[in-house]
Formats: sequence, structure tokens, C-alpha cells
Amino acid sequence: MSRWPRSQAILLWGVVVFDLVFLALPTALVLVASFTAGDVIAFPPDGWSLRWYQALLERPAFVDAFLRSLWVATVCAVVSIPAGTLAALALVRWRIRFRGALQVYLLLPFTVPLIASGIAMMLLFGQLRLLGSLWPVGVGAAVVNLPFMIWAVSASANGLDPDLEDAAASLGAPPLHRFLTVTLPAVMPGVITGALIMFILALNEFIVSLLLTDARTVTLPVLIYSSIRSVLTPDLAAVSVVYVVVAVVAILALDRLVGLDVFLRSRRN
Amino acid sequence: MTGHGKPVDRSRISRRGAIAAGAGVLGAAALGKAGGLVLPRPAFAQEPEKPAELIVRAWGGVWVESLDAAVSRTFTEKTGIAVRHDLTEDNEIQPKIWSAVDQGRVPPLHVFWDTTTNATKSAFREVCLELDTESVPNLEGLLPAAKPTGFESWPIVNTYAYVYVLAYRDAAFPDGPPDSWSVMLDPKFQGRVALYNDGIGFEPVAVVMGGGSMADIPDNMQPAWDFYEKLRQQRPLLGEDPDFTAWFQRGEIDVACTIISNARAARQAGIEVSWTVPKEGAKVDTDGMWIPQGLPENEAYWAKQYINHALEPDVLADWCARLGLPPLREGLPGPDDLKGDPAYPVTEADYARLLRIPTPVLVQHQPEWFARFKDIMQS
Amino acid sequence: MTRPAAIAALDAGEAVRVRLWPAAFGRATPVLFLLPAVLLTGILAVGLVMALDSSLRPLDPMTYRQAAAWSLGNYEQLAGRPAYLWILGRSLLAAVLVTALCLVLALPYAYCMVRTASPALRKLLLVGLFLPFFIGQVVRAYGWLLVLGQEGLLNEALAGLGLARVSVLYTFPAVVMGLAQYMLPFAVLLLAPAVVAIDEDVEAASAGLGASWTRTFRHIVIPMARPGLIGAGIVVFTITLTDYAMPQILGGGTNDFIANAIYDAFFRLSNAGVGSALSVLLVLLGSTLVALLMAVAGAGTMALAAGEDR
Repeated sequence: MSRWPRSQAILLWGVVVFDLVFLALPTALVLVASFTAGDVIAFPPDGWSLRWYQALLERPAFVDAFLRSLWVATVCAVVSIPAGTLAALALVRWRIRFRGALQVYLLLPFTVPLIASGIAMMLLFGQLRLLGSLWPVGVGAAVVNLPFMIWAVSASANGLDPDLEDAAASLGAPPLHRFLTVTLPAVMPGVITGALIMFILALNEFIVSLLLTDARTVTLPVLIYSSIRSVLTPDLAAVSVVYVVVAVVAILALDRLVGLDVFLRSRRN
Repeated sequence: MTGHGKPVDRSRISRRGAIAAGAGVLGAAALGKAGGLVLPRPAFAQEPEKPAELIVRAWGGVWVESLDAAVSRTFTEKTGIAVRHDLTEDNEIQPKIWSAVDQGRVPPLHVFWDTTTNATKSAFREVCLELDTESVPNLEGLLPAAKPTGFESWPIVNTYAYVYVLAYRDAAFPDGPPDSWSVMLDPKFQGRVALYNDGIGFEPVAVVMGGGSMADIPDNMQPAWDFYEKLRQQRPLLGEDPDFTAWFQRGEIDVACTIISNARAARQAGIEVSWTVPKEGAKVDTDGMWIPQGLPENEAYWAKQYINHALEPDVLADWCARLGLPPLREGLPGPDDLKGDPAYPVTEADYARLLRIPTPVLVQHQPEWFARFKDIMQS
Repeated sequence: MTRPAAIAALDAGEAVRVRLWPAAFGRATPVLFLLPAVLLTGILAVGLVMALDSSLRPLDPMTYRQAAAWSLGNYEQLAGRPAYLWILGRSLLAAVLVTALCLVLALPYAYCMVRTASPALRKLLLVGLFLPFFIGQVVRAYGWLLVLGQEGLLNEALAGLGLARVSVLYTFPAVVMGLAQYMLPFAVLLLAPAVVAIDEDVEAASAGLGASWTRTFRHIVIPMARPGLIGAGIVVFTITLTDYAMPQILGGGTNDFIANAIYDAFFRLSNAGVGSALSVLLVLLGSTLVALLMAVAGAGTMALAAGEDR
């Protein structure tokens, strides 16, 4: 950054360093606390050990809740990948009547506050006798996060060259051929990015799950939340580290599959 | 009020009856006799199929620990059925159970350990499975206060009484225990006072501190609102049972209105915390247990067995001793450290020093009081 | 799969497609594509109608059941409680503060991340951004409990320096701080594409004409990043305004937002009607604010398909 004036470099990078610390501090602390050898959370910790991870494995409630969260995330991804991908392609490829109204409608999950979405689905699923099962929680997560999926796919669909499809058509490729061999591969980075985001968001989903789950179907974020309300013990730090690990894995996967800087592309390009 | 179905009408009648019956049973009843032989357990040709687990709602901290150690683990030893504790707050899970019963779904838990006030609401709403001495023989031998007010039958069973004490950190009171709730307004405790997040347990105290008397409840609650207004300036911390123990442990508070069990748990964890019943008195109430309707028959059977087990004299004694609370069964020994403690009421004279509001009044007015408390504290 | 096998499979698929979706349906294909997303979102729409219905049925305090007949009783009850105005005011204030804080903190981050010449540094900044983005609110709030608690890192550090301990946890500033940290990655991610779109040559030209970097920043970068700033601002503002977890976990019970009041109405007061009425009002408030901002600033930033800009 030698070409930046010194004052600019200091000010801007100063903010960046502050941001990095601000963003990382709570996570770093959770990590540190989880490795303590002591009985309570303290800084610096009273020695280091893995005992709280050991303790975690002996608490089936947390293990079960984690498995349930994985299931919820899977349902969410399975539901939202086709729905979001097809909708994004339709919005980008065709001139659709009532496009504006449709956009507003499909953005409902973003404009409706999460708590209201959760309440709405709690009322509907209750009426349909679906509360108490786990899969509606995954569907709920898919509903509230669907615009992320549409966004991710439409961002890469904009890079799609319509001439390519036309060329394939003029060479005699029928519609499904064209879709599977030209269109889909072209938007694959968007599908992968969107799917990963949906999975992670569902794994972390809290408020909608709080409303849709009960003791038989509680998911990990809800269980962590109800546990923080009692005493802060280091095993909670250990279970939180699960999320740090998942985040790291997701970032590695995203970087490997599509490259992290996909998010830095201008929408207009 | 529009044309409701029959069950609704019945609950209205029973509620009216309850309100008419009025006066608190608790203190006067504490000494009453309700003896009788424990009936022999009915002989089943075959026990109903055992579920893999029972889900029991509980409060966190010392509450769930005591239930687990005294009741749940021994139940599992006896029957082989695992017990899972659901720590969702009672108010929060109550509407979920109501809607599950209304919608004909299986309710999300088997045994609901609840405040008597909340449980009575559920009983009025007719979502409780009736208990009887045939399926729960240990209902025999309980004190009259164990029976819910305003009901002929046993939709719930009350298990023990408890006092919302003034708990304090010893170090903050070098000159001895505070003798009045007015310490809560002491400027030096600003930000270091704690109450329940809906104000539960504090209403009669607030009425008295605001210049009113017990006779003002429920018709004139203004003194309480006035006192809450003053208390708000202290920026109190608002929480649930385990919060109080944790806050004392972490040094976040000096004074709290909380159930004795939470303060005792902090003390047993080595924190120098004590409690007292100030001269104005302190609220006394009971908790109970009930089973929601709509469970499969075999699960309902084993849920009743769980309650029956909890009421077993030695089990109940152990459970209540861990909580530091007087059980509603006659002749059970209390823990040594609480002998003669005014916050461990045993005799009628003990109860006379405490403040009690009849359950029907609480059932009818508590939601409104909670809302008012929230209004003031959120402003 | 070998190449010919793949083509055979495709042909078989095509045959099934012709059966199920003949070319004559072609015009309806966009509808078919949109149907799943429309149905999924429909779950929300139907649920909202049910919430509206529930909001029109007041609770009978004698039976704890909602009335069979519609009335505006719940809304009247809301109007009669000034506490809800306080809660609304607090939520709005927090949303404004968090939005301002996030934009100020996010723009330099996005700018440096886009403009840095070092790929390694860019990757570090991306990872620093995505790591918290992929960790949920509850876990991050838990982290703040460890930072701000009476015996947390902050107080241990202060004590280590011989300074007095502070009680930050369970206050409004703690909630704002937690929310700002939660929203910052959203803000940066929404801003970054706008920064990418700024032509570096324009900045260079500005500098070449003798403008100081602050002038260039104020007159070139910020105006050109405006769509991103507005998009990020809308998202941060609305999510903050309606958040539940941070005020619940870091607020100590006296810093409720609207979402907490809704939850309380449902689950602490067992009053689904009032809770629904509050939800309906919150939806209206949120949608109105978003619509206003989009009307003022243009819809481009929120559009689902960037294609419509063409």
C-alpha cells in the first residue's frame, strides 16, 4: 500500500485491524475457555486440558442436538437448492410478467422479521399438526433463508452467456440436455456457494427453531441458548467450538470449490 | 364472552368457585391432618410397556440437580426408564402444551414440574391428566395444601412450599443482615439488585413497601407499581432461578429477591451468601407436578409412576432437603442447616409471618401483574 | 460414467421430460421453474395471514382462550401500554446506532480488502470475515458473555492494570456492541461488490488532479459506493431492529427489543393475540421502512436478480 498516503494507510488499516480484533475476540475467547483444565471459566485459564471435550461426549443431550441440527441443515439444503436455483434461473433468463411483484414476494423472508416468520410458521405448522417433528424445522430454515440461495445463483447466472445456450440449441440439443450440460454447469459456483450458505445458516438457525422445536426436537443453538441461561460452564465453550470447526471447514470448502473472492465480484460484471 | 364449548364453561364455573372459596389454604392447612393408610399398589397383570425415556420439565441450577439426584436417578434405578430434563421455562412451554393438547398432538413432555399458579391455569384449561389415589397411591398422606384449590379432584399435586427471601452477599452487609426490603433502594447497590424477570415472588412485598397492605391485593396494586418505579431507578438485573446463583457466584449482585434454594446453592458452592425474611415479611408459595393429556396410555402410566415415586416419603424428603424447602407431607425431617430458619416454615406461626396470596387470585391477576412489571422495568 | 453412457442417460432423461413436460408446455416453463420457490415462500404468506387472524381475537382471561369473534381488542391493549413505545424506541435507537457503527467500520474493511495488492492479505481479510459470518448468534453472544462478564476478559484486564472493574454486561451498550459485531460481516459482504465497481482510474484521476485522499474518499469513493452503503444499511437496520437473541442474552432482562416483547406475549403472558398483533405491527413497520428506503435509494441493491438492472 505504498502508493497510499501515510495518513490514509494508517487510518484505514487501523480500522481494519480493529475490525479483525472485534470480529475475532469472542470466538477466540470461546476457544481459549474450552481448553481450560479448571472447573470455571477464567482468564487466563487454570491450565490446559481436553477434559471439557471429554465431558461433552458424556452428555448425550448435546450430541443428539448436534445430530438434529445436522439433519435440519440437510433438509434445508435439499429443499432450497432446487427451489432457489430454478427460481434464480427463471428470474434471469425469462422476461416474466409481474416481475416486480414476484420479486417483492420472493423477498418476503427478508422483509418479514425473523421472529414474525417464526411465529407465522408456528401457527401454520401447529394447525397442520406438524409441530413436534423435526423436518418442518428444516423447511422453516429453508423458507427464511431462501433469498440467499436465489441471490447466490442469480449472481453467477448473470455471468451466463445466453449465446451459449442458443448455440447449443441451434446444434440440436434438446431442452433438458441444454439445461444439464450448459446452464447448470455455468451456474454451479453459485449453486455451491448458495448451498453451503444455506447449510451453515440452518445449522446455526436459532429464533425460528426456538419457536418450532420442543424438548423432543431441540436443536443445538437452542440447547446452547437454554444452557447459557443457567451457569456458564466450560463444556458450553467446548460445544461452541463445534461451530468454529464447522465454520473453518466451510471456509476451506468454499475457497477450494469456488474461491472466496467470488464475493468480491461486482454484480454488474 | 361468546358462546364457548362446554369444557370452557365448566372451567369458568370451577374458577368462580375457587375464587369464592378464596382464602389461602396453605398456612392454616399446614398443620391439618390428612393421614390415612397408603393404599396397596393395584396389581397389574402386566405392566404397560416402558417408554425409552420420560421427559420432565425442570428449572435449571440447583432445581434440576436436586430433582435429578433425589427423584429421577432413583426412578431410573427402580424402573430402568431414563429421565431427560427439559429446562424450558415453565411459562414458555405452557402455551406449547396447550396448543399440542388443543390440536390433538402428543405433548412435548411427560411430567410438568411447575408453579402452583401456572399449573392451576393449565388445570382450568383442562389439559391436565387427572391423578387419583388408585394410580398414584402416594397422594395419601400429603398435607391438605398439596391438593389444588378449587378442584374436587387432583389435576395437579403440590409438593412443597417455598419462600422468596431477601438474599444478600455477606460482604456487602458487614453490620449484619438487612432487616428491611428497603435496602433494595440503597444507592450503593445500584445495578447490583436482582429480581425475577417477571417480578414473581415480589408483588406482596412491593405492595407493602409502596405503603399498601395485603388487603389491597388484588384490587389496589398502585402501591406496588409506585415501588417498582423507585426500584427501576436502581437498574435491577432481571433473571431466572439459575441466574441468581450464577450472579452471586460471579459477583454481579449484592441483593436479590429469590427463592431460598438459589441463595443456599450459592452458599453451598462456597460463596458467602445469606438470606433473611425482613420485617415486612416475604412471599410464600408452592410448586406442583402434573401430566399433560394426550400421551400414549403406557407413557401416561409411567408418568404417573414418576410422580408417585417423587411423592414417596424418603424420596420427597431427600428432594426437598436438597432444595432446602419444606415438603407437603407430614412428619418428614428437614435439613439441619434450616432448623428454626424463618424461611423454612413448618408451623402455623411460621406461616403467619409470611405473605401469601391465594392461588385463585394469583391465577386471575398474575399475568396482568407480570405485564405491569415488565412495562415499568422496560421504560 | 463414460461419455456415451452419459449421453444415453441424458437421452433417456429427455424422453421422460418429453412425456412429463412436452414442448407445448414451453411457455409455462418459467412458471414450473418458479413454482417451488413460490410455494416455499407461500408457507410464510399463509402463516402471516394466520397471525393477522390471531391478532384480531382477544384473549378471554377467564378461560385463557382466544375469542371466536374478531375485534380490535389486542391492538387497543397495545395502544394502552406505553412500555411498548419504549421498547419500540429502544429497538429503533439500537438499529440506528448499529447501522451507523457497522457502515463506518465496514467501508474501510471492504475498501482495503478490494484494493490490497497482496492476495495473501486479501485472503486473510476474507477469512476474518467469513469465520464469524458462519458462526451463529448464540455462540457469538456466548463469547461476549466471556468478554464482558464481571469476571470476564475485560474486567480481568482492567484489574490487571490496577483499574476499577466495570459493569458493561446486561446494559444497552453491551447489546449494541454484540449486535454491531454480529452485523459487521453482513455489512462488509454487501459493500464489497459496490467497492469493486468503483473504477480505480477515477480515484487515480482525482488524486492526479491534486485532491487529497480524504477529498477523493468523500467525493468519489463514498458517493460511488452509495448503492452498497444503502443496501448494507437496509439489511443491518432491519435485522437489528427485529433481533431477539442479543438483547435476550446480553441485555439482562431490561433491554428488550420488539422481538422479545413478541416472544414474551406468546410465552410469558400466554397471550397469542397480543403477540400476533405485535408481530403484524412489526411486519408493517419493517416493510414500510424498507419500501421507503428503496423508494428513496432505488431498488437495485435489494433485487434478487441483478439482471433487471439491464
